Amino acid sequence: MLETEALRKVFNGKAAVDGINLYMEKGESVGLLGPNGAGKSTTISMISSLVRPTSGDVMLHGKSTVKDPSQIRRVLGVVPQEIALYQELTAYENLIFFGRIYGLRGKVLEKKIAEVLELVGLADRQKEVVKTYSGGMQRRINMAAAMLHEPEILIMDEPTVGIDPQSRSHILETVRRLNQEKGLTVLYTSHYMEEVERLCDRVYIMDHGRIIASGAKDELKRILSGEETIWIDLDRPYPKLLSSLQMNEEIIQATETEKGVKLIVPKGARILASVFQEAEHHQVQIVNVNVQTPTLEDVFLHLTGRKLRD
Amino acid sequence: MGTFLKKDMLVLVRDKTELTILLAMPFILMVILGFALRGLLGGDTEALHMPVAVVQLDDEQRGTEQFVDELDSIGLPPEVMAELEMTAAELRPYSLLENILTSDNMSDMLEPVLLDASEAEQALKNGEVAAVLTVPENFTYHALQKMLLDIGSGSELHISVSEYGSLSASLFHEIIDRFVHTLNFETAVSKASGDMATTSAEQEEMAAAADIGGIETVSAREPVSSFQYYTIAMAVMFVLYVATAIGQKAYVERQQHVFSRILLSDRHPLAYLGGKFVSATVIAFCQIVILFVLSSLIFRSFASETVAFWFGMAVISFVLSICVGGVAALLTSLTIRFNNNAVTIVFSAGIVSLLAFVGGSFMPVSEMAEFLGVIGRWTPNGAALSAYIQWMQGADAKLLLEPMTRIAVIAVVLLSASVFIFPRRRSI
Repeated sequence: MLETEALRKVFNGKAAVDGINLYMEKGESVGLLGPNGAGKSTTISMISSLVRPTSGDVMLHGKSTVKDPSQIRRVLGVVPQEIALYQELTAYENLIFFGRIYGLRGKVLEKKIAEVLELVGLADRQKEVVKTYSGGMQRRINMAAAMLHEPEILIMDEPTVGIDPQSRSHILETVRRLNQEKGLTVLYTSHYMEEVERLCDRVYIMDHGRIIASGAKDELKRILSGEETIWIDLDRPYPKLLSSLQMNEEIIQATETEKGVKLIVPKGARILASVFQEAEHHQVQIVNVNVQTPTLEDVFLHLTGRKLRD
Repeated sequence: MGTFLKKDMLVLVRDKTELTILLAMPFILMVILGFALRGLLGGDTEALHMPVAVVQLDDEQRGTEQFVDELDSIGLPPEVMAELEMTAAELRPYSLLENILTSDNMSDMLEPVLLDASEAEQALKNGEVAAVLTVPENFTYHALQKMLLDIGSGSELHISVSEYGSLSASLFHEIIDRFVHTLNFETAVSKASGDMATTSAEQEEMAAAADIGGIETVSAREPVSSFQYYTIAMAVMFVLYVATAIGQKAYVERQQHVFSRILLSDRHPLAYLGGKFVSATVIAFCQIVILFVLSSLIFRSFASETVAFWFGMAVISFVLSICVGGVAALLTSLTIRFNNNAVTIVFSAGIVSLLAFVGGSFMPVSEMAEFLGVIGRWTPNGAALSAYIQWMQGADAKLLLEPMTRIAVIAVVLLSASVFIFPRRRSI
């Protein structure tokens, strides 16, 4: 349905996006994962025809949208990272305006507004001025404005940044329903791993303007199929223990966490005994041990050596 | 366009800071300047009623006789002598001054009292009079000699004032200056008509000069009150802030990605620019109408005017509003193209004040240096102010064509520039 061909964007001599190839099938939910500055927003802007690529192309049903942006704009809904709404207007007035610029009028517009307000759960607050809303409510109206014209493809750029858990959960559930019940094609970017894991069938992992890995969630996790993640909680931070664990040749990776250390070790390796030994040697008490199968976060860490939120 | 207009109106109405700048500020300034400078303009002079002492040391009759007597010794041809005698008898400089000071036009403003020198000095000290005008001895004789024969250095009128630099003193000085100016013109005309050698071309030239003198000293038009003047002056100044408000809103739309959302609706980018132009035009027109209505209701500035008068005012306001729409479109184009609101800030913080100054919003252009007046006439606010004032003074509609054309030309230039600058690509 939609694919990019060696998409590249250079700003001031520096490539923000460097030869991205990705595709989306109709009804698919695709995640674009990467830390801040990875080039996700620029990629989305090029796909949605807002930014012209330096080179490469975006094809919709085999036709270039770079040459003819209108074809993608008709079927595209974009939920930007920013609250792209008039803060002085009510939610209803905003939706009236955006609906009208999409050519909707009269009863059709009223019906669509009622539908999207119902969808985002703010029908009873529609007459309130947007700037009086909480961050989460603003993001829900932000999403409603992108849904007015019944798009076939929904692109969401970090739609849950800085909002309360209730609104976050509401947005994620709404996207899941739209995708599964209405067959909406979704491109979801985030640096929240759990959101992408929950919503998306396939994932592209971006870093420094490039796709560093892609595939279905399980395929990606299989990158780390020979490994296990061990979370060790300590009674206090103890850098010397971390240093000695990093020196251990049996441990693939040892990193500090909020509560202690995280180890990536070969599957089945009998490492815990030596970890307890080291802890005793440094007189640090281990309060909890948790052995996990790999997450996408671990995959990203494995591929880039960095955390997603670094 | 209606969608953009409605949205822009709503956004503006909800922005209290912007509303204060657009409506409250000009109204407050209109009140302050209207009261403070009441009397400076022709319409309401009761605020500047001032008694002045006139010390008359001249004997007009004797001065005229002395001038005529001395003509014999110059040796002029008899017919020239007869002409000069007649002109001297008609000129009577002191009588002319007296007529001006006691004229109906001046009676609201001046109350001349004849006093001797010591009485006048005492009255000035006691603050009983605002100024003392001394007509020196042999004023008529010296004036006639200078005016008709160009002999000597003429005669000077002396003015003493209680508060140098005060409004009353300045005004009185101005009246006497204008009297001297008038006298010079009349002399020139007298000399020209009395000169046998003057060619018809020169006489036409003199006649033209007399016309100019007439306009300068005697206004046949309706006077404009300070409230009327400053209602117009503040309206044409603050209407420019509509353009900055629209430019600033465009910047916010760009920053908050609302502009991107509008582009994604597949509207042509120029539709957005057109929306800004129409919004600014309509908002500017509404602002002017509100200010005029407020001024009429509260200060009765334009009370009891005819429908034709209001129609003319509406036409001028509409043309000015279109020009403001042009300014707004240009600011929007620059803001969107460079993703920067610096131009709008500079326009709002400095250029509007500069335009207001040279356009005559703070003081009438006639009080400023001539080159400033010329520049002012080519500012939209200056040209509009000139058109409004002319219309209020009952000028023929044809006379408005020139300032209106200037505004229209400026509007077309601004609009063309904005269309040229605005990014026409469908991406940003």
